[in-house]
Amino acid sequence: MKRAEHPEIEVPVLSKAVLEQERKMLLDLGNDITSVRDKNDLLALFSKRIKSLFYFTHTIVTLIDYKDETYTPFLLDDENSPIRAHTLYQQLIKARFSLNEPFIQAVLHTADPISFILEDIMDKPLSPLFLRVNHEEGVQEILMTRLMKEGKPMGFIHIYTDRPGSFTKEFRSVIKGIAPQLSGAVSNILKNEEILNKEKEKSFLLDFSSDIAKVRTKVELAAAVHSSLSKLTDLKAYAIRRINEDGATLSPYIFDPGPIPPDKKEQDRLVNTNFPINDGLQNRVLESNIPLLFNVDREIQRGITSSYLQFWKRMEYKTLAGIRLRNAETNLGILWLAIEEINIQLLQGICSQISIAMANIIANEQVSKKQEEQAFLLDFSHDITQVRTRTELQDAIIRVIDKTMHTKLAMIRVIDEDGFHLSPFMFDRTLFKNAEATFDKMSVNRITIEEPYTSRVLASKEGLVFNVAEEIRDGNAYARLWETTGLKNMYSLPLRAGDKNIGTIWLLANRLSKLMMKGICSQISIAIANIQANEKLLAYKKQLEIENDYLKEQIHTIYNFSEIIGHGVAMQEVYRLVSVVAGTNSTVLVLGETGTGKELIARAIHNTSSRKDKLMVKVNCAALPASLIESELFGHERGAFTGAIDRRIGKFELADHSTLFLDEIGELPLEAQAKLLRVIQEREVERLGGKQTIKVDVRLIAATNRNLEDAVKAGRFREDLFYRLNVFPIQLPSLRERPEDIEPLANFFVARYSRITGRKIKNISPKVLQQLGSYTWPGNVREMEHLIERSVLLTPGDTLQEVYIPRGTTAEKQNPAQLANRSLEEVERSYIIETLQRCAGKISGAGGAAEILQIPGNTLHSKMKKLGIGKADYFLTK
Amino acid sequence: MKIVVIGGSGLIGTKVVAKLRARGHQVIAASPNTGINTITGEGLAEALTNTSVVIDLANSPSWEDKAVMEFFQTAGRNLLAAEINAGVKHHVALSIVGVLLMQDSGYMRAKKAQEDLIMQSGVPYTIIRSTQFMEFIKGIADQAAEGNVVHISDVQFQPIAAEDVATFVAEAALEPPIDGIKEIAGPGRFTMPEVVTRYLQSTNDPRKVVPNSHAQYYGAQITTTSLVPAGQARLGAINLETWLAGQLQHA
Repeated sequence: MKRAEHPEIEVPVLSKAVLEQERKMLLDLGNDITSVRDKNDLLALFSKRIKSLFYFTHTIVTLIDYKDETYTPFLLDDENSPIRAHTLYQQLIKARFSLNEPFIQAVLHTADPISFILEDIMDKPLSPLFLRVNHEEGVQEILMTRLMKEGKPMGFIHIYTDRPGSFTKEFRSVIKGIAPQLSGAVSNILKNEEILNKEKEKSFLLDFSSDIAKVRTKVELAAAVHSSLSKLTDLKAYAIRRINEDGATLSPYIFDPGPIPPDKKEQDRLVNTNFPINDGLQNRVLESNIPLLFNVDREIQRGITSSYLQFWKRMEYKTLAGIRLRNAETNLGILWLAIEEINIQLLQGICSQISIAMANIIANEQVSKKQEEQAFLLDFSHDITQVRTRTELQDAIIRVIDKTMHTKLAMIRVIDEDGFHLSPFMFDRTLFKNAEATFDKMSVNRITIEEPYTSRVLASKEGLVFNVAEEIRDGNAYARLWETTGLKNMYSLPLRAGDKNIGTIWLLANRLSKLMMKGICSQISIAIANIQANEKLLAYKKQLEIENDYLKEQIHTIYNFSEIIGHGVAMQEVYRLVSVVAGTNSTVLVLGETGTGKELIARAIHNTSSRKDKLMVKVNCAALPASLIESELFGHERGAFTGAIDRRIGKFELADHSTLFLDEIGELPLEAQAKLLRVIQEREVERLGGKQTIKVDVRLIAATNRNLEDAVKAGRFREDLFYRLNVFPIQLPSLRERPEDIEPLANFFVARYSRITGRKIKNISPKVLQQLGSYTWPGNVREMEHLIERSVLLTPGDTLQEVYIPRGTTAEKQNPAQLANRSLEEVERSYIIETLQRCAGKISGAGGAAEILQIPGNTLHSKMKKLGIGKADYFLTK
Repeated sequence: MKIVVIGGSGLIGTKVVAKLRARGHQVIAASPNTGINTITGEGLAEALTNTSVVIDLANSPSWEDKAVMEFFQTAGRNLLAAEINAGVKHHVALSIVGVLLMQDSGYMRAKKAQEDLIMQSGVPYTIIRSTQFMEFIKGIADQAAEGNVVHISDVQFQPIAAEDVATFVAEAALEPPIDGIKEIAGPGRFTMPEVVTRYLQSTNDPRKVVPNSHAQYYGAQITTTSLVPAGQARLGAINLETWLAGQLQHA
């Protein structure tokens, strides 16, 4: 090692002024240096000040890196350096020169500035290249001084000169004196740079953070990412990929392909690709908690075949940084940056912000998706409420499934009434267009709840998913059918109304939202339950209608016109009147003693009238208390009177377009009579407490056993009403008045009650017929009916041998008015004649007059003689 | 050849760096102080660019069970991931003889986790399991001392000098990876009380060694032969006496 020799000859004595000049320069330099903040200023100032006293060509500062024991240029004198034009200059200013060589070791171990003649050392082994390059540009000598920091060399100041001997003793001593200040200034610059970088980083992150905070959508995120990342120097392109829902692939989310627009087709292809996670690159990034720098060529060499890697290669990206985007413990995606160098802290700052924004956006998207789904469900729910029939429901279901899940209904099966079989309820046949024949064959099968798949679905809480491919492997016959749709999974859920299984629903899809399915299924369940109830209701209704018709029919047969028994003259007259009046709308007043069949006649009129298709409405005016009769006839509104808790339709309204039969009209209270009159006149009714009148078309038939004329006279019946009713009176004869009908009636009733009671009575003994004929029948046909009924019950054989006619009650009661003002003899005579007439002239024996009069036959004979009663008396009158 | 030494400023690291540089290799002494951090990943990618061999000599700053596990796992994962990306051809790591036998210790569990990560990484590797360093003897004595008495379990002990460890590590780094484990140990096998007694004598330490048969090492339960190689091991050149002499010279 040879250092530059400096013969110390003829050192001049420095004057005070010169010394003062030097001192001042040093002071100025010191002041300058301490105020320097920019690294370029430092060397310029240094050169300027020193050059004012000493000569040199240029100077540089190098810094030591102990990590690899090298030193590298830090401050350059671009203005004065003679080697700037040298071809190796660019290489030199970036080079790292080893500390492990004699030249720099000599400098390191010398506290004072040390100079070298370049020619002497530049060719020594290991000597740094810059010595030779400087020499080539005319530099002769170099003065090296170490810069110390905390007692350790931190770098060097190199001073070059093209004039040997420039580095005088004074020069050296000045440099030595200024070196510590220079060290301080370099340290400051380093610190400053560090602070500036940190500040830049921080403000970058802060800007990014405030941009990101405003992000609500993917588009906004893309804008924020773009505006921030574009500030990064050297960034050629970037892409954010998001992990897909399947958890196995990533798809481009946000990207900037960089300045060179790639082939549009290729870009579209990449954008729409799902890149598998485990492709040897993405999984490495996702597993690494630090950003990774990838060398594109090396990864291709490694045999990674991902299409995007080839794309990067074509785009001439050499290295890419991959950083995982992660929110808490969940990986969201990857940020790829086409960049040569990475600043870990900055990238991690960026990524954590992007991750949060992405997580928020994903959460937002999920929320709005949920909302959308719920809106659909609401619509569906709305549709469902309107649904009354199966077809309407099918339309609603197919629509909602298409809208919310983008699939078609495979099948809904509903459990039958027996609780064991399931029948197809509805399905979308178009889903199986590739296998219609098979589908039709399979769908018509009625399966049971024990069918393995159905039973599993019914037993499950929230339904099951059958993977079509797996089911085919397991030999599921249905799966072959499912496969024809090309969809991957069969989703099946039980349909439940309350706790009760009502059926199963089957949907084919690749993926379905479970929540959605649940929501839809519960609605479908309710709708199906409703439709089933509705269908049942309709069936009941139909049944009731049929029953009603049947009952009407029955009523019709019971009160058949033809069942009126009687061929006598009196009855023939009644029949004539009935047939005359039936076809009209005239009010009919049916008169007759009790039990003469007034209602029967009324029905006969109704049934032969044009109103016969509707039921005749009957009101028994005697059967209701006066207070209720009005509401019964005319109806009332809610709250019309105490106890009127709801609206009631009166019999008049009910009998609209039909016949109203007012039985026992004579018992109608006067007040009601007035109202009835009004209704008859106006043909309209007003409900009690009601405000509006209702038009009615009612045909009236009234009946009474009273003498209405007498009642009118007595003031118990309104005269005007009487005339209104008495339009077409029909007087029914009493049974007494038509003895010729007694035998047919007796036969008729015996036959009826024998049939009802199961007796086999075929005949009536002549004695009984005689007895029946001789009775006065105050209760008329009704009395006879009941008498026969009783007698039938008491008869053991096949012939009615005995009837139980009430005794001793008839004569006294009969028409007391006729008996007035007569002598005893007259009364006695007429009574005997009457009795003989009833007994068909039979005087003694069973059914004879003596028996009824309870006197011996002989006594009757003598009485007849005495009163002059002959055969002519009792046979002539009838 | 470019070699990165993680933990390059530590006891073994400095020696390995020096040895490799002396052989003319470009060596980067990586440590958080030189801007390369395996926990945060800082500087790692740049440091590993064009690197052929990585030597991992980093040690956990904390010895607490959970912290030490986290250190070795995180650092190991980050380092290996970066190595794969940079195409590093050889990963050399220093582990401990008997690591599998001393899984009672949290530190040993963490070292095993580190070994496992290396073996599963796919990066060609050489794991060097070493016995305790002679430089640890003082620490062993201090942590076992109660007043003037030093309680030492009478387990077998075959300490190796750090200098020898560095030599073996540097050697392994320059050889092709063996994708396996290589054990190294000191040239002499003793019991631990013997070694500690000899050390205290040579340093004129007045404390007395009391052997026991608890078979414990830093509180962890081990067996008598846990700390010595079970099979073939490369033996260091510096024996205990030489090393002690060297220590005295320094002092």
